[in-house]
Amino acid sequence: MSIIETHSARKPRIAFFYWVVAGIMLVLTAGLFYRQLLSQEAFTERERLQNQRRILIPGPRGEIFDREGRVLVANRPRFSAVLYFSDPGLRREIRETALKLYRDVRDGKAQRPEKGYTNEARFRVVKKYTDLVGRILGRPVEVDRRRVERHFARRPILPYHIIEELSPTDFALLTEQLPVTSPVQIYASTARFYPYGNAAAHALGYVSSTLDFPRESMPGDDLMTFLNKGSVGRNGLELQFDELLQGKTGSEIWIVDPSGFQVELVKNDPPVQGHPLYTSLDIDLQMIGEQAFGDREGALVLLDARTGEVLAIVSRPDYDLNDLTPIITRDTFADIEDRGAWENRATRGLYPPGSPFKLITAMAALRAGAITPETEIECRGAIYVGRKRFVCHRRSGHGKMRLADAIRVSCNVYFYEAALATGVERIAEEARRFGLNEPTGIELPHEITKMIVPDPQWKRATEGYGWVKGDTANMAIGQGYLVVTPLQMAAFTASLARNETRTRPTILRRDNGMPVAVANNRSIGLPPRDRQAIIDGMEQAVQYGTAKYAAIPGIRLAGKTGTAQKRTPLGTLELAWFVGFGPIEDPQVAIAVVVVGEQPDEANAGGAVAAPIARKVLDVYFQKHPPHSAHKPKVAGF
Amino acid sequence: MPKKRFLQTRPFLALGIVALVWAILPIVVKSLSRISFYEFQAPANLAASYARDLQTFWAARLHSKNELIAAGRDLARLNAAYELTIRGNESLRAEIARLERLLNLPARAGYRYEVARVVRRDFSAWWQQIVIRKGKNYGIPVGAPVVFTGGVVGRVREVYAYTAVVDLISSPNIRLAANFDGDNRPVSFQGGPSPSFAAPRGRVHYVPLDIQASEAAPKRLVTSGLGGVFPPGLPIGRVIRLSPGPDGLFNIGEVELDERLGALTEVAVIIPTSEE
Repeated sequence: MSIIETHSARKPRIAFFYWVVAGIMLVLTAGLFYRQLLSQEAFTERERLQNQRRILIPGPRGEIFDREGRVLVANRPRFSAVLYFSDPGLRREIRETALKLYRDVRDGKAQRPEKGYTNEARFRVVKKYTDLVGRILGRPVEVDRRRVERHFARRPILPYHIIEELSPTDFALLTEQLPVTSPVQIYASTARFYPYGNAAAHALGYVSSTLDFPRESMPGDDLMTFLNKGSVGRNGLELQFDELLQGKTGSEIWIVDPSGFQVELVKNDPPVQGHPLYTSLDIDLQMIGEQAFGDREGALVLLDARTGEVLAIVSRPDYDLNDLTPIITRDTFADIEDRGAWENRATRGLYPPGSPFKLITAMAALRAGAITPETEIECRGAIYVGRKRFVCHRRSGHGKMRLADAIRVSCNVYFYEAALATGVERIAEEARRFGLNEPTGIELPHEITKMIVPDPQWKRATEGYGWVKGDTANMAIGQGYLVVTPLQMAAFTASLARNETRTRPTILRRDNGMPVAVANNRSIGLPPRDRQAIIDGMEQAVQYGTAKYAAIPGIRLAGKTGTAQKRTPLGTLELAWFVGFGPIEDPQVAIAVVVVGEQPDEANAGGAVAAPIARKVLDVYFQKHPPHSAHKPKVAGF
Repeated sequence: MPKKRFLQTRPFLALGIVALVWAILPIVVKSLSRISFYEFQAPANLAASYARDLQTFWAARLHSKNELIAAGRDLARLNAAYELTIRGNESLRAEIARLERLLNLPARAGYRYEVARVVRRDFSAWWQQIVIRKGKNYGIPVGAPVVFTGGVVGRVREVYAYTAVVDLISSPNIRLAANFDGDNRPVSFQGGPSPSFAAPRGRVHYVPLDIQASEAAPKRLVTSGLGGVFPPGLPIGRVIRLSPGPDGLFNIGEVELDERLGALTEVAVIIPTSEE
């Protein structure tokens, strides 16, 4: 008997085994076919989702210009020192450090790291490069262990920022002294830059950092995405036109290793800067307005009377916009808060308009036939309305006055009498005709809507009391419940200059020289003689009346001053007003200025305080845009 | 037949063994070998350099007396002009020192210049280097800036006993902090791939978008002096092209460097006096 067993291929037991093997092979082949050919797309997709990461880079914001193309808001480069984990050398260094650490612990030379070998190795490598940066810059640079751990846990694909903002010297030192192949490199981003500091701060607005920026329909939407910080408008034009100013977000798609570090860039779609915004502001006039205010509180609005374009809009106190970017520090916030500087007083400040409202009272009285330009009313320094005495600012009285004289000297008694003869309903209607009861609709956010043009219904509904004649007398001189914004008063003045009832102020440059169309705008509708009397009064006020400190030689200006009272918790503060337009024969600009008194019961007359501010601004305007008739002899009337 | 084939492969085998031995040698030995090789090679380079100098000397001897007299006269004029400039500089230096004393400013870092002949030029697509005829024997430190009459040459990369290797600014591994002439915003210059038979080139990064330059109206690029290596105001080159960078935040520019960088014969190493 042979000890070697021989097999025959045809033995049924072997044949059965062949069939089993063939069956298994068939199953395996079918599985291979299914996975490699039929499921290929699904696996490729899974591989893509697992191995690819997307980084979104917000586009730089668009710049903001003044009407002459000067940059009001720009982007300044912001350089940071960052550590790129995409560098293969750095990843190898981390691995080697972890290995060495492990050996040291094994050999008893070191203690086992609390948070694992890899975390400790990462920290040590980051610290090594941070120290290198510190040595080059000649100052210690701190590294926060928790920040490093958080970065690796959440955003390993993004560079780690060693120093957030480099000075020009830091930039130069690192550029020149870091090896070109170092994993530490300079990273450039942008921050908002305001070349004129606090000029038009409230109108221009500011931005803050955000991870919530536009990213619709971008490639790789299904990939795990990491975001670089962008910015979003928080106030002013930056907020109002945020969509326009936002750049187009760019994206990078990277293949990453199992630890999530970058290996290869697959797709790069660079960001694109946002659209520019051309405002109607004239930075020369704006700066003059800002300077003219000094440290005083208040607001100024200068409009192009023909188009409604805002040439200057000042709100004081204010803040330096550069202090708010890239972040608002706690101290800066507290300082602005303490000074009450957040508020845009031009669009949100509610003030009793004082004597400039007498122009409305006059128009209502003329329209109602309660007075004519020739109507004479005697001012004896005060009148009694009911049992209450209403005084004029000249206690000895102005004597007999006609309308133009009353405007020139701002006689209260004349307008008390005229208003009482006209009735509150007609005065309120006149104010509403000029839109003083509603926001102007300027393209600035948060314009206040709580302005009040009171009438008996309003008082009954809000105060619960009936209207009395004293309320009418108060309203006649722009006091009492009546409150409006400086922007509204500027719009009213521009409307008066054009002999129309509505002006829609705009802060965007209008190249067609036409005003923004606005509903309810129509001619004032007073007979020319009546309107002429009002304008004459305003011109005389500038020539030798209460507004004489606004006078500019060679320019015919119409102006009206006012001094209103505002009750505050500290006491009654005086508000100095000036409204005006010019040149009378061809109105180009309209202005409204309000200055809030600093101390309770301190004299703060419109003629002495607000008119000189207006004069400084108008003077510069007319130097830049001399009217054609500036050197012609004065012509009476227009 | 198989024996013959084996014999044919022996050189490859030997090469493989040498490569393997080199690969497993400790880094210290490798480094030492490299330095030794360089130091042994240095005398030959120096001798060649001196021979070239001698050649130049004898070539100069061939000039006629009239030519030498004319050259001497031109040189005398040039020297007189330089003398005036030196006097002007001295008076400016004194004025600066007076103002510094008035303002109690700290003393500025001092420099000394070490003029050295170029021994060898080593240009490739990856690096552009020159070897100069002075090394540790003249106290030349690694990293010292090197200049010539046309501006920046580069930085000292390696220093040996009697020679030093200088990376030219056209080398991609050189980076400088720079400014456009008359503009104090910082930009970064880096050497770049240079075309053959043309002036060496570099790239300038982080150029603000409002700066314009073109071949017709090039802009001068100078050292910023803020980087701690090069003094301010040294010419680097001319920016002849600017194009928007990939991030849209800055422009990237092409810098045409001085043609003479490819034919340098003498350079000056700036040695900070604090290094000594």
